[in-house]
Amino acid sequence: MKEFLQLAIPGLMIGGLYSLVAAGIVLVYKSTRVVSLAHGQLLAFGGLFFWVGLVVLHLPLPVSILLALICSTLMGWLVERLTLRPLIGQPLISAFLMTFAIFMALDGVFQLILKGESKTYATLLSLGEFEMMSVPIRVVQLISFGVVLFVFLFLALFFRFTKTGLGMRATAEDHQLSQSTGINVRTIFSLIWIISAAVASVAGMGTAYVMDIHFPLPYIGIKGLIVALFGGLDSLPGALLAGLILGVLENVFAGYLDPLVGGGLKDVAAYVLLLIILLIKPYGLFGLKRIERV
Amino acid sequence: MRPCGTFDERYGQDMAIFRIKRHWGLLIGALVLLYIFPLFGSYYFISLINHLSITIIIVLGLQLVSGYCGQISFGQAAFMAIGAYTSAILTGKAGLSFFIALPISGIVAGLIGLGGGAPSLRIKGFYLAMATIAIHFVVMWLIPHLEITGKTQGLHPPAPQIGSFVFDSDERIYYIIITVMLLMAYGARNMVRTRIGRAFVAIRDNDLAAEVMGIELYRYKLLAFFISCFYAGIAGSLWAHWIQVVHPEQFTLLHALNYIGMLIIGGGGSIPGVFFGVIFLRLLEEGVMFAAPLLAAVFPWIGIHPAASMSVSVFGIVLIIFLIFEPRGLAHRWEIFKSSYRLYPFSH
Repeated sequence: MKEFLQLAIPGLMIGGLYSLVAAGIVLVYKSTRVVSLAHGQLLAFGGLFFWVGLVVLHLPLPVSILLALICSTLMGWLVERLTLRPLIGQPLISAFLMTFAIFMALDGVFQLILKGESKTYATLLSLGEFEMMSVPIRVVQLISFGVVLFVFLFLALFFRFTKTGLGMRATAEDHQLSQSTGINVRTIFSLIWIISAAVASVAGMGTAYVMDIHFPLPYIGIKGLIVALFGGLDSLPGALLAGLILGVLENVFAGYLDPLVGGGLKDVAAYVLLLIILLIKPYGLFGLKRIERV
Repeated sequence: MRPCGTFDERYGQDMAIFRIKRHWGLLIGALVLLYIFPLFGSYYFISLINHLSITIIIVLGLQLVSGYCGQISFGQAAFMAIGAYTSAILTGKAGLSFFIALPISGIVAGLIGLGGGAPSLRIKGFYLAMATIAIHFVVMWLIPHLEITGKTQGLHPPAPQIGSFVFDSDERIYYIIITVMLLMAYGARNMVRTRIGRAFVAIRDNDLAAEVMGIELYRYKLLAFFISCFYAGIAGSLWAHWIQVVHPEQFTLLHALNYIGMLIIGGGGSIPGVFFGVIFLRLLEEGVMFAAPLLAAVFPWIGIHPAASMSVSVFGIVLIIFLIFEPRGLAHRWEIFKSSYRLYPFSH
């Protein structure tokens, strides 16, 4: 039991971050029907901006968080404005390919900034650790898990009680109908990218703490996509649950089976899971099944 | 488009790819030039053409499954790896001749590719693309963990050999590579005009409507995957015996993403588009390789070796520009050029 908890609790912490990445993807998909590969980069740059504020510019913690949020939202807005808006009305698959092009374009910039090095701020922010049920837990990770839950709560309230949030839900249902009720769909698209970029950058700050700012960081976005698919592409609660499940599964599988197969199972477990989901339940846990007509 | 007054009088004329004598002259001239090129070409250009030809074979396969059949596949690099490893094992460990191992590795990659096509029964579009990404990672995880693939050290396949003649240099294997490439291109160009190719196009345009029309959806989707993975396997086998080292690092997701990019830039649904896309992106890469040290000299803060990351960035930006301004790719521009050239001085 102790061994299981030692594997499961860190998995749960990572899983929270996965579900936050997935939340960004789900938000964009819900309103615009675009599946975004670019979120991995938004996440990586969120972490990078935070690192710049904290380590390079020696800003205090709240200011660096604010800086990272502002820069990422700006980036999310630019991505929507410059690349995705010209594609409104085009087939959705070309928007998907566009997000992949954005991923590549930003990936080059990310690597150019890193120059093959690995940046970290984990040492600056270590608040120590404590033991719960004889499992060591880092305080920062616990805080970031709390932030994850808070962000999900915030999103849930936002979509339920604000006018903009309701407008976004209406847009998700039908673009033309919501336009005819006076909702500006373009503004909604911009806003949704801004919000999801902010969510992604929060995830980035948390993820970069755990795994350093290094060239594989953007590929967490693919994990986020897997989580989003697992939970159902248009379901926020699904994203939360699926992220936690994936985080735990990944760690537990790797912990128990790695000695048997010779390592590296952590990276591939998610993809095996994805294949199984796609074969058995392509619309995910809570996803809406859409019926197609010719 | 052809100028008015051009009529096809026989069925053969209507079906011809090369319609007039001038086309045939150009074709034969180009082929002769291609085959005598190693006699005077420099080593750099010969290996460039080798690389281009192998990439063209892979992207041709991708064109069939994604450009014609509409099933986007990110798994092409993994299937190329399967082909390369199969060929390396068959020649290196089983001692088969390269010329037998080449088609076998294509077929093995194709059969495993059927596994990649299996999810296409229930899912499509973006979901299928994700499934192929998953397949890529599973395959590329398996390779360094199996005993037969040489673990992380990779394999060293021998050079192809006929009698005592060994194709061990770039100039010698050049002939094998371009011959196979031309055959594969010829096959693809003709396949898309047959019943199979038209079924692919129907599935791409609307799969439900295609099924109603009597196309067996699943069979044709699987066939598309088989053919595309066959192409990737052949390319992998050629690659293995050209470089003579097979290593998991040679087949990353980035490579697969590059192939998709070549397809978009060249233009989906066009065989000449494959050539345009591959050559364009490759030249772009060479241009960045050339420009990057100059930029690094002017702006020292971008680091000493910016070429790799800059080429990724430039690739992404070019892709964005193409998706916004020319989603039908270079092939579409080529069509416009051809018809305006033929109709000159009239506009239509």
